[in-house]
Amino acid sequence: MSALRPLDKLPGLNAATILLVGTEDALLQQLADSMLKEDCTSELNVHLARALPLPCSVNRPRIDLIVFVVNLHSKHSLQNVEESLCHLDAAFFLGKVTFLATGAGRDSHCSVHRNTVVKLAHTYRSPLLFCDLEVEDFRASMAQRLVRLLQICAGHVPGVSALNLLSLLRGSENPSLEDL
Amino acid sequence: METQSEEQAVAKPADSGGEGGRPQVAGAPAVRPEDRMTLLLRLRAQTKQQLLEYKSMVDANEEKTPEQIMQEKQIEAKIEELENEVEEAKIAFEMKKLALDRMQLSTALKKHLEKIDIKTSVLVDNMKQILNLNKLIMKSQQETWDLEEKLLDVRKKRLQLKQASERKLLEIQTEKNKQKDDLDSMGNSNKIKTIQQNLETEIQITTVIQHVFQNLILGSKVNWAEDPALKETVLQLEKNLTMI
Repeated sequence: MSALRPLDKLPGLNAATILLVGTEDALLQQLADSMLKEDCTSELNVHLARALPLPCSVNRPRIDLIVFVVNLHSKHSLQNVEESLCHLDAAFFLGKVTFLATGAGRDSHCSVHRNTVVKLAHTYRSPLLFCDLEVEDFRASMAQRLVRLLQICAGHVPGVSALNLLSLLRGSENPSLEDL
Repeated sequence: METQSEEQAVAKPADSGGEGGRPQVAGAPAVRPEDRMTLLLRLRAQTKQQLLEYKSMVDANEEKTPEQIMQEKQIEAKIEELENEVEEAKIAFEMKKLALDRMQLSTALKKHLEKIDIKTSVLVDNMKQILNLNKLIMKSQQETWDLEEKLLDVRKKRLQLKQASERKLLEIQTEKNKQKDDLDSMGNSNKIKTIQQNLETEIQITTVIQHVFQNLILGSKVNWAEDPALKETVLQLEKNLTMI
């Protein structure tokens, strides 16, 4: 039941592990499938979880990237994510955590305001991605993006580290955050 | 707690045989050791990067984090400060890398130039062409600058002329207005009125005298048409003085 730590295990050779956390099982499964279909030179491991903390009985490799999936249609998913965030070690937030908001396409169904998620991402200083996971094409492109992010966070791209990427991603976000 | 969170693992044994390796298996056996080399090199680069990350984490953990409880706003400010420091470090690093690359490039170029025959080198031709073009550019820029200066001067003169003409027109107008005012004031002054009245009385007196003379001459029954001097006098007496 301990907090997840980013660097407490040695990395597997040529392996990269991503953890998807969210309440929508179907969406997570679909996203995992799209990611595995991607062409990637490293070995990908995709773990799905509904909430943190993870049971420590399972032997799992070092987790390189955690993606919290928030469905803008349900407040429950947001609450779930907020509760899970407490179980993470602070070192994770140096580029190994991303927020993914889905369901922004259908504005009438949204019960969580977009700004709430933006503020959440801003508080935790992590990048926020928007994607409609129900649409096939968007899911495929988001899967591609996540695979690239994962490779960088696992250290498979020489010259770019997770922290470096974080400050690169931050540059384009700042103008909108000033409005908040 | 264990029932709340479930975990599923989905894994894929990816093409660890090398980048896009599968179709090349059917190819020549010479391709295989190539693949292995690239794989090894890639793994080496990866491991280096991962080692760097771990080292930096170790260094970071040696720094003591402040334990006191701060206000949220202060924490935000501190975080932004640290983020700015990271950015500045990145920029400084990029600058140094750029300077280093430039130095390496210039030494390589120097060595290359020392080795080759200067007369036939394409590189030297390119450099000469570049110099010529630069000279042309500078000349054209200078010409442009001169023309712009001239244009500016002409515009200034035009403006000055415009202003001068404006002033003149203003002066003319004020003069005209002054004249008109004088005229009007003259028309209303009392002096004019008295003079006018005097003139009228004089005209009346003269008209009376005219009539008196006329009647004198007519009453004397003289034939005034014969004598030219008398004729002239009579005709002159006919003049209506009010029409003058």
